[in-house]
Amino acid sequence: MADVVNNEASAGKDRPVKIIGIVCNWCSYAGADTAGVGRYKQPANVRLIRVPCTGRIDPLFALKAFEKGADGVLISGCHPGDCHYSEGNYYARRKFELAERMIHHLGIPKERFKWTWVSASEGQRWQQVVTEFVAAVEKLGPREGRAL
Amino acid sequence: MSRQDHIREFAAAALAEGRVDYFIGWTTGFNSSEVIPAFVKDPAEVDRLLWNPLCHHNLVTFLKRNMPDPPDAKIGVCVKGCDSRTLVALLQEELVDKSRLYVVGVPCDGIVDRRRLEKEFSDEMVDIAFPEKGKVVVTTRSGVQREFDQQAVLLDVCTRCRYPNPVYADDTAGPAVPEPGREETEPDWGDLADYEALSDDEKQALLEKVYSTCVRCFACINVCPVCVCWDRCVNRSRQPELVSQKVEPKSNLLFQMVHMFHVAGRCPSCGACDRACPVEIPLYLLHRKMNKELYDMFGFEPGTKLGEKPVFQVFDLADRFGD
Repeated sequence: MADVVNNEASAGKDRPVKIIGIVCNWCSYAGADTAGVGRYKQPANVRLIRVPCTGRIDPLFALKAFEKGADGVLISGCHPGDCHYSEGNYYARRKFELAERMIHHLGIPKERFKWTWVSASEGQRWQQVVTEFVAAVEKLGPREGRAL
Repeated sequence: MSRQDHIREFAAAALAEGRVDYFIGWTTGFNSSEVIPAFVKDPAEVDRLLWNPLCHHNLVTFLKRNMPDPPDAKIGVCVKGCDSRTLVALLQEELVDKSRLYVVGVPCDGIVDRRRLEKEFSDEMVDIAFPEKGKVVVTTRSGVQREFDQQAVLLDVCTRCRYPNPVYADDTAGPAVPEPGREETEPDWGDLADYEALSDDEKQALLEKVYSTCVRCFACINVCPVCVCWDRCVNRSRQPELVSQKVEPKSNLLFQMVHMFHVAGRCPSCGACDRACPVEIPLYLLHRKMNKELYDMFGFEPGTKLGEKPVFQVFDLADRFGD
């Protein structure tokens, strides 16, 4: 993850925005796959990192991505109630909510961090989530973080 | 009988009866302007123990994993209101063994900010006395003496304290102090207002300035009573590496965010980290904000109810976060 982000982080203000997507294996990763299979057009700014479950995602992953120069972080997993491990995302959403508020507290605009739910069959929704998020981050432009 | 006498009496009784192996309290440092933690093993030595508004140390730190010596020691410990909340937070997660503890609660009128006093003088302080309630008299090496109003030199966390009386104690040293009506009043987050009013860019600039001074001495983490991973700390880990060894504001802030997120739901903002920081980084900006948001999200105040589980260890189907 670190190297991927670093390569272009120094490439100046006109570079395309780089977004780290952290997605759960069972829903959102499959959802992104569905979007690909369905040939839904979507921006290519998102690099996906696949984790077993949103419950596995430490909010610090997002902070680490920002520290390494990511312009935005997108987190996605199964809808509440549909977790492959029954309850991982119930724990996760509490963490993400705090993470979102703390990230904003550090002076990183709210638009740069998004967490949502996309199921395996929702290819179209994945396309919509990615398109909207990338547009929001592009509006802010590449990030020049001073502290994190 | 003063609170100090109560503490000495409880300590002497517990030590004499063999209920504890040692008793942790506060005592005078190298001069009477400073207080340090004291470990008393002999009932004859309890006169070393002290209570005054300089006793800022959170002694619950000495109960953390790997700290008791021997590991199964029976320990007596003094706690103020905020300390007792950290103890309850540890008990909620069964990180300390209640049966080995003897807890003396000390109702607290607020702790004096020694650092603030220090800055009032160009000279070294040699004595801080409390001749009467609410008065602080400081003497410096050159003999300068000045009197302060205790309320005016309290720690920031103390002026906003909602739990001055211990929430968990086996014995209490003296009568309880008056508490703010917690049912009617909301916590006061006024100390965050200035920072929160800043724009995103200003926040980043301020954090960059503040965190460029961090020397990563781990004082905040070592002193934190609810930060319990010790050598397993991801901050110290090089493989996997979350926090790099680079000395720069970004890594330093990430280092601190690791601490913050790992004590989320356990940290009652006792302020021990703020007082331990040698370069005076305002860590309250992070942990107070975290508690503010937890209060906003769950109405949760860490370490206040013994039977409660910390918010991140449980979930509720009725949570309404996200879309």
